[in-house]
Amino acid sequence: MKRHLYSLGILLATSVHAFAQAPEMAPSPGPSIASKLEEQGKMDYLQVTDLRATKRDNLLRIQAEITNTHAGNQQLYYRFKWLDRDGFSVWDEEPWKPMTLYGNQKQFINAIAPTFKAADFRLLLQSPNNTAN
Amino acid sequence: MLRTLTAKRRNTLILSLALAALAGCQTTSPTTGSSGVSYGDSKAVETVTTELGSTDIQMISEKMTQSLIQTPEIQTLVKKRQLMMASPVKNKTSEYFDTRLITDTILTQLQKNGVRYTIESEDMQNQVDELRRQNQSGLYNKSKSVKMGKMEGAKYRLDGSISSIIKKTSDMKDVYYKMNLRLIEIETGVVEWSDEKEIRKTARR
Repeated sequence: MKRHLYSLGILLATSVHAFAQAPEMAPSPGPSIASKLEEQGKMDYLQVTDLRATKRDNLLRIQAEITNTHAGNQQLYYRFKWLDRDGFSVWDEEPWKPMTLYGNQKQFINAIAPTFKAADFRLLLQSPNNTAN
Repeated sequence: MLRTLTAKRRNTLILSLALAALAGCQTTSPTTGSSGVSYGDSKAVETVTTELGSTDIQMISEKMTQSLIQTPEIQTLVKKRQLMMASPVKNKTSEYFDTRLITDTILTQLQKNGVRYTIESEDMQNQVDELRRQNQSGLYNKSKSVKMGKMEGAKYRLDGSISSIIKKTSDMKDVYYKMNLRLIEIETGVVEWSDEKEIRKTARR
């Protein structure tokens, strides 16, 4: 998957934590989108083109935009890992969730942390139709 | 003499090879049995049939918990240490499954965030039996027994239903599930929160 090198603009809990786009060669002020993703295999047609996180009412909210660059439908499986500030897991393993993306479609994955303890996350992605190790 | 030595070496070699072969058959895996039974990932996407399965139950519970936890009523309930309970979810589908799988998971996940809940009617008999045993059987030291009339009532209750629409053709089956859950203030009967989760499953024959 062609990773878009986006910078992470992590702001305080009162404001939006957005993973904003930055020029590819510019020095990154924060973690990139790639650092929040764990792909199982290589996805040729599906890309995470935007990733935002914010904390409202003490709960971490995530919005990931997935883009299907292929003309045909693509199947995606995803789940989140919820971590505290030190990187420790604060919730049980989530179930894998299926998502179908139609040809050339963009779709959001919206998630709210299941616990107030979550301060960070990882988005696990797997696409069986175009995975090649 | 030379021939005897060679024969001995050959026998030793054969014995060593046989032992190595036997050792090769052994496994270091901490398993027993060879009936083809294996353990799988309980969080895997299950697509065995179109009937309601583990993935559906898990997705419904997760969606409802995520939605509930951000409501002001639940956050107030946590702060004021109020109580909630879950009424049995009505199964309006044509399939049999225990809907407590859903409400139990939701309550467990909410409790991890500080929500306190009371037992529901199904568990009430065991509770009453134990209270009576400690207070009326004459077997217990009264100073060390729990008292009757101290049970606390819930402020909110969860209620809901799950329905399905099934369409079949000679080569295709399509099932649409819809789960609806509501948070009701018991005293007033006002629905303070509601949400739903839709699932579509299709199978080709």
